[in-house]
Amino acid sequence: MKILRWIVYVVAVLALNFPVIATLVTSFKSSGELSINPGLWINQPTIENYLAVLQVSDRLNIYAYLANSFMVSAIGTILAILLAFPAAYALARGDFGRRFLMPAIVNLRAVPLIIFAIPIYMMYQAVGLLDTQLGLGLILTIVNLPLAVVVLVNAIADVPVELDEAAKIDGAATWQIMAGIIRPVVRPALVTCAIFGFITAWNEFLFGLMLTTNNAVPVTVGASFFFAASGGGVQWGLASAVMIVGALPPAILGLIMYRQISGSLTAGAVKG
Amino acid sequence: MAAPTSRQPLTRAERMRRREWALLTTPLVIFLLLFLGFPTVLDIIYSLSQVTFETLRSPRLSGLGNYGDALTDDAFWSACWFSLRFGVLTAVAECLIGLFLAIFLAPLLEKRPALMALLMLPLMVAPSMVGLMYRLVLNEFGGPVPYYLEMFFNNSPAFLDADTAFWTLCVVETLQWTPFAFLLFYTAYEAIPGETRQAAQIDGASRWQMLTLIELPLMLPTIAVAVFIRFIDGFRVFDNVYTLVGSGPGGVTASISIYIYEAFFKDGAIGKAIAASILLFVVSLVVLVMLSWLARRRKGAIS
Repeated sequence: MKILRWIVYVVAVLALNFPVIATLVTSFKSSGELSINPGLWINQPTIENYLAVLQVSDRLNIYAYLANSFMVSAIGTILAILLAFPAAYALARGDFGRRFLMPAIVNLRAVPLIIFAIPIYMMYQAVGLLDTQLGLGLILTIVNLPLAVVVLVNAIADVPVELDEAAKIDGAATWQIMAGIIRPVVRPALVTCAIFGFITAWNEFLFGLMLTTNNAVPVTVGASFFFAASGGGVQWGLASAVMIVGALPPAILGLIMYRQISGSLTAGAVKG
Repeated sequence: MAAPTSRQPLTRAERMRRREWALLTTPLVIFLLLFLGFPTVLDIIYSLSQVTFETLRSPRLSGLGNYGDALTDDAFWSACWFSLRFGVLTAVAECLIGLFLAIFLAPLLEKRPALMALLMLPLMVAPSMVGLMYRLVLNEFGGPVPYYLEMFFNNSPAFLDADTAFWTLCVVETLQWTPFAFLLFYTAYEAIPGETRQAAQIDGASRWQMLTLIELPLMLPTIAVAVFIRFIDGFRVFDNVYTLVGSGPGGVTASISIYIYEAFFKDGAIGKAIAASILLFVVSLVVLVMLSWLARRRKGAIS
């Protein structure tokens, strides 16, 4: 029975990660080898694809895409936490906002984002936020907010109110309680929000596709440029290397921090 | 949750506290109004107007024509149908496989929690990237899947033509998001108290009875939540479908999100795209309000 469980585990891991594995293998093959050996075995591993990807041309610039992804994800993560934390404190401690604000935010996660994409595009066009890192970062904040609020409200609600009250008797102002007492206690939840928010923002595609064209293109969108780049057929080795490079930051973060992430996923689901 | 027993005059301290709560939520509320509220209002005005990319600043009100355009468009209805089928099928498949994996692998994972990481890896990869990856995996020259099918069966089907694309996409979506369902179920499974299991064992329950009479009923709320979340995500699918096949041969793989995107950006049919997005918004809203009403009623009935 134990062996059977191991077999199921290995099969599941291979099947679920199959596209990643195949792409990883292909990224280490020369185009010559790829044409005669499309299988999952590499005869002569080469890093030439990675070297080619890291070469900047005037149309393809992987560094710019990665930098854009990093910046917009950082904005979308930090701003979401800054907005969510004080609100979560009020929602957890007062009966304020429970009737309308909280349900609205929680349900936001279930609304198809395409609905807001078109008016936001038109609004951005009017105020000049199209194709800017700030513009995309602000929208990723919206994407991250629901889960950040839910996770932080849960975390703060678990902190005994007596801590607040003791501090208040000592004459602490509300912002001092939040920054000095609540923040250290809910640190794990804040870390979870940051990691999960960063991964979600990095992997977002729809808004990147709609709101950027040139200057703020994130790597999820930029990766598809490499498919069309070579004119004729797709250079699969090159395209694979791009996808691995683009997928690596969130994947590494996720593999290291899988425990925090599973916590945030399940918290969001239970309250959703 | 104590609803304020209102109409009693609030004390000064209470008023101060309320003002403080309001102040703390203000930045969030302003942000939401600016980036969701305002665009939504804009959206409704545009949906009732005649707009082109040239007249975006000065929309002319034109009644419900845009809604008519959307509702009489066959492509709109076929996109709705795609999204509905896709959402239901993938949600059910993901939850069934996820449930099996969670329960069957639980003894293994309890001893070695680090094994979770590789099962969760698909959740960390951008769906748009996964769509691109399958372009490689399924490619007839150089993709491993057709290569091995040719090798072992001398025959590899077309994965992305008008008849097969839908099913291929279902498999792609299911393989990426089964770990999500698995994770919820595994957490719920582990949360079942040990005493409950022991009590059942003492009463002489078999493994099968334990599963069907104790464990599954206790996991039912989680199962409902997981099916719902996976359905929503499948229904609004965009990234992986778009990067793998776009709207597909003859538009057969246009989900509702892809339909709206293409109507707006490719065809410049702004009015129709916006009307369709408002319709989608209203439907989602109605469903969500109904669901939270149901959830509250059930909670009320239990307590």
